[in-house]
Amino acid sequence: MSLTVPVLSAGLARIAAHMEVAADSLNALDGQLGDGDLGVTMVRGGREVDKALPTLPADVGMALMACAQAFTRASGSSYGTLLATALLSAAKATKGRTEVPWSEVPALLAGALAAMMARGKANLGDKTVLDTLNAAIQAVEGMDDPAKMLAAAAAAVDATLERMRGEPAKIGRARIFADRSVGLDDPGQVAFREILRGLATPA
Amino acid sequence: MKKILNDPYAYVDETIDGLCLAFPQYYERTSPGARVIKRPGAARTGKVGVVSGGGSGHLPVFTGYVGPGLLDACAIGEVFASPSVEQMVEAMRAANGGAGVLRVYGNYGGDVMNFDMAGEMLEMEDVPTTSVKLADDIASAPPAEAAKRRGVAGMIFAFKIAGAAAEEGKDLAEVTRIAQAAADACRTVGVALTPCTVPQAGRPTFTIAEDEMEIGMGIHGEPGVRRGKLHTADVIAAEMLDMQLADRPIARGDRVSVLVNSLGATPAEELFILYRQVHARLTAAGATIVMPLVGRYACSMEMSGVSFTIIKLDAELERLLKAPAECAFWRV
Repeated sequence: MSLTVPVLSAGLARIAAHMEVAADSLNALDGQLGDGDLGVTMVRGGREVDKALPTLPADVGMALMACAQAFTRASGSSYGTLLATALLSAAKATKGRTEVPWSEVPALLAGALAAMMARGKANLGDKTVLDTLNAAIQAVEGMDDPAKMLAAAAAAVDATLERMRGEPAKIGRARIFADRSVGLDDPGQVAFREILRGLATPA
Repeated sequence: MKKILNDPYAYVDETIDGLCLAFPQYYERTSPGARVIKRPGAARTGKVGVVSGGGSGHLPVFTGYVGPGLLDACAIGEVFASPSVEQMVEAMRAANGGAGVLRVYGNYGGDVMNFDMAGEMLEMEDVPTTSVKLADDIASAPPAEAAKRRGVAGMIFAFKIAGAAAEEGKDLAEVTRIAQAAADACRTVGVALTPCTVPQAGRPTFTIAEDEMEIGMGIHGEPGVRRGKLHTADVIAAEMLDMQLADRPIARGDRVSVLVNSLGATPAEELFILYRQVHARLTAAGATIVMPLVGRYACSMEMSGVSFTIIKLDAELERLLKAPAECAFWRV
C-alpha cells in the first residue's frame, strides 16, 4: 500500500476536523507566550485546506502544493508559513507521481525538516516544532506501515515535549519570554502533536 | 492621530479602489477585491514578467510603478506588512507571458520568506522565476554586511531598469543580470524629522522631539545611525553626502542619476533646497548627473524627511533608465 491523493485527502480532512476541537487549548497556550492566535491559525488553515480537498489533482506533488497554497491563503503567520514550507518540500519531491510508497515518507519528512530549518533560520534544540518533527523522523526511520509509523511518531513527540518542557525557548517571539517559557510546552510543538492526534482519529 | 480615512481596517482596500478608478489605463485588479494589481489586459506573450510586492504605506512604491516599461504586477500587503504568499503567487501568474518572471523587492524578512516560497510554487507549475532584492540603505548595515541592508528608495531605479530590459525582449537571465546590476549600483541614505502613524495602530511609529532629526532612519521607523539637533538644509545634505561618498566613492568621469525623495510630508521646495548641495557636491567630484529625480517617489505615508539615492550608471544602465516608461506617478 502507498500514499495516494485519496489517502492524503482523508488524512488532511481528519486533521482539519481535529483542529476545531484543539483550537481553544492551543490559543490559551500560545497566549501565555505571545498573541494567542496559534489555534486560530490552525483552524483557518485547516478550513482552507479542507475546502481545497474535493478538487485536488491525482498527482501527489501537485496536490501537496495545492494544500500548501491553501494554508498560506488563510494565514500569514510564521508557523503557517513553516507548515506550508514543509508541504511544498514534499510536493517537489513527489511531483509527477500518483503513488508514493510509505517507505519513502521518512525521507520526505527529513526533506521537509531541512526546508523548514532553512526558511525559519532555526536549529534543533531551540524548542520549536523542528524538535518534534525531528523526533518523529527518527522514530519512523526504516518503517513502511502507516499505522505503526503514526504510533511511533506520536510516542516520540510526547517524549520530546516531556523532555523539553523545562528548557527555555531559544528563538522567535517566545525567546523574549525565555524565562517564562521554562516549564511551559512550546505552542508549535503542541500544534504538531495535535496534527498527529488528528491523523489518528478514526475516520 | 489625524488622518483622512473611513474604517482603518479598510485603508488598503479603499486605496486600491481609488487608484484603479482614477487610473484604469494603468492599474487593474487580478480579480474583484484582490490586493494584487496588474497592467490591464493579458500578460505580454514572450516578455519576461517583472513583479514586485510589499507593504502599503509607501505609494508610489510599490503598486504605483505598475505600467509600461516598469512592473507588470504587484502584490500589496497591509500597511508596513508583507503580502501573503498567495498574493505573490497571483501577481507572478498574472505577469507570466511564458518567458518567466523576475521579482524585484526590498530586503525585509517577511517579504523574502514569502517571495521565496511563492517562487517555489511557480516553479512547481513549470514557470521559471528569479529574484533581485534591493539592499540599498547604507545606514542599515556596514559595507561588510551589505547583504543585510534594507531595501528603500533605490528600488524605483531597479523597477525602471528591469522593466525596460524586459520591454526590449531580453530573456529572464539577462533581465535578472541587469536588474541585479541596477540594484547593486544604488546607495540610499535617509533622514527623518517626524514619524508616521499606521492607521490600525493609531499612534506614531516612534517619537522624536520637535527640534530633532534622525539620520539613517528606516522607512518604517527602524532606528538610524544618529539622532541629533535639526540642522540647516546644507548641513543635513552634507552629512548625508559624506555618508554616501564614504560608502562608495564617486570618481571624476562617473555618470550617476540621483533621487532626492520626500518621505511623504516634506514639500518639493525643501527637496530643491537640498538638491543644490547634491548637485554641487557630485559635480565637484567630477561626476555627471543624468536624469535627476526630485519629488515623492518612495514614501512612509505622512513622515517628514528625505532620502538621497545615488545610482552609478554604465552605458547599459543609462540607456535603460532613459527608455520610455509610464505610470500614474512617473513618466520617462
